[in-house]
Amino acid sequence: MKSTWAWFLLAPPLALALVFFVVPVVYLFWVSLHAASTSELYGAALTLRNYTDVLGDSFYLTIVRRTLGVAAVILGLCLVIGYPVAYFVALLPPRRRMLAILLLLFPLMVSNVVRAYGWVALLERRGVVNTALRDLHLTDAPLELLYTPSAVVVALMTILLPYMVISIANTLAALDRRYEEAAQALGAGPVRTFLHVTLPLSTPGVASGALLVFLLTLSAYVTITLLGGPRSKLLVSLIYDSVTAFQWPRAAALAFVLLALALGFTALILALLRPGRVQGSGR
Amino acid sequence: MKRPMTRAWTAGALLRALATIVAFALIVVPILIVVVAAFSPNDYFQFPPPRLSIRWFVEFFGLVNMRNAFLLSVELALASATIATILGTLAALFLARRRGAVNALLQSLFLAPLVFPTIILGVALLLLYKTIGMPVFAGLLLAHCVVGMPYGFRTVLASAQALDPALEEAGQSLGAGPLRTLLLVTLPLIWPGVLAGWLFAFIVSFGELNTALFLTGPGITTLPIEIFSYLQFQGSQLVIAAASSVQIALIVILVAVIERVVGIARITRAR
Repeated sequence: MKSTWAWFLLAPPLALALVFFVVPVVYLFWVSLHAASTSELYGAALTLRNYTDVLGDSFYLTIVRRTLGVAAVILGLCLVIGYPVAYFVALLPPRRRMLAILLLLFPLMVSNVVRAYGWVALLERRGVVNTALRDLHLTDAPLELLYTPSAVVVALMTILLPYMVISIANTLAALDRRYEEAAQALGAGPVRTFLHVTLPLSTPGVASGALLVFLLTLSAYVTITLLGGPRSKLLVSLIYDSVTAFQWPRAAALAFVLLALALGFTALILALLRPGRVQGSGR
Repeated sequence: MKRPMTRAWTAGALLRALATIVAFALIVVPILIVVVAAFSPNDYFQFPPPRLSIRWFVEFFGLVNMRNAFLLSVELALASATIATILGTLAALFLARRRGAVNALLQSLFLAPLVFPTIILGVALLLLYKTIGMPVFAGLLLAHCVVGMPYGFRTVLASAQALDPALEEAGQSLGAGPLRTLLLVTLPLIWPGVLAGWLFAFIVSFGELNTALFLTGPGITTLPIEIFSYLQFQGSQLVIAAASSVQIALIVILVAVIERVVGIARITRAR
């Protein structure tokens, strides 16, 4: 009786997760192992060519490298800007800290296409920045700010920055201040205290922030397209282009290259920062 | 113990304050610009605007495509948030008191769409739908359910785990069956979590891009995708600022509702 009741709870959500999440992803992998076909979604022959084509083609490799480069710069900026902001937020009194985090959460709820459009309105030829520069007589002709890799980096960095700040701030706010006081009592200066006590203890927040920022950068097709234009394509743009060209096996293989990058980075972060080691000794 | 106000401390505090000002400006200004631009009286955005006008909002609701996309987004968000929250609640009730490897795996499965690259899910679902001949709206709805379910699951799981099991046992020892206990004891107690989960799932569905990008069809488009294609094919015009402001306004209203009903604390803990 009790087990049938429990099964009634589990069955509907499990069915949704299996049929519309696990099955399609497995099917996508299956398709990526097939030759292309002009009449069907994919050909009958099993092949690894979709992967060897992508990994052996300098065009694709350039795009993969560019994707990793852009993601690395965004991640680096998010860390360098996000950490001090998180520190500032974590030191606020509880009520104000809540307000600051709410202010950071709100932009995350606004659709990314709206936030990307905000940057388009700022950076386009007749946009706010160019108009201001002209009115201040700093430039004669509008600068080409849009459709550059830098535009993608700036926009995506600011779109994803709240994830990094919130992740680190939550860890720092939960941190026992007595560790820092102990370090100072033992004679460590502020820099040493930060490097040897605060920073290592905040690695779980840094790790989860870094993962979110990196994974969301990989998928950010709309922001990349609106700000990068046709000349600054990244891996995700190639997936979209393959889909619109009905090259299903190619699109599937590219999707799994992207997934491999995501998994590889996750493994790297877990190995480098080992966020798990802090929790045991934390409080 | 009092902190010594050495030069490094003040420098550190200054640096943090400066970074915070810069970061908040970079995060908030692009959103504010959109809202200000939406009230422009002219064809092009001037800052500061000479006067305020609602002509672009009139234009927005006058465009059939935009209006339909807005209505579809609202319908889709209402339906998918409801389904996702019900399913997420069921999963959370099942897992709240269970331990072990299988249950840990199930929990990861239910949370996975939060971190899984949604662009891959979009392509995968499109391919599946093409193979089985899924109607566009149903396919879109199910995709939004998959993306929204983790939010309902996570908030309800937190509420359900905080629940005192003695309360449910009391209900059962007084003769209530499992269904009556669920409806009369458990559900009223976890209700704030359910509501917060629903609002999150609504917000996520209302702004969803990466799966909708592939799954919308001719005449069946969501507002974010309509904004995106308008920007791509008609260019950056101020009607987009109005459309974006409508999106932002709805989120503001929902956040206010969350704050009223369940409090800010739950939002800050939910991510």
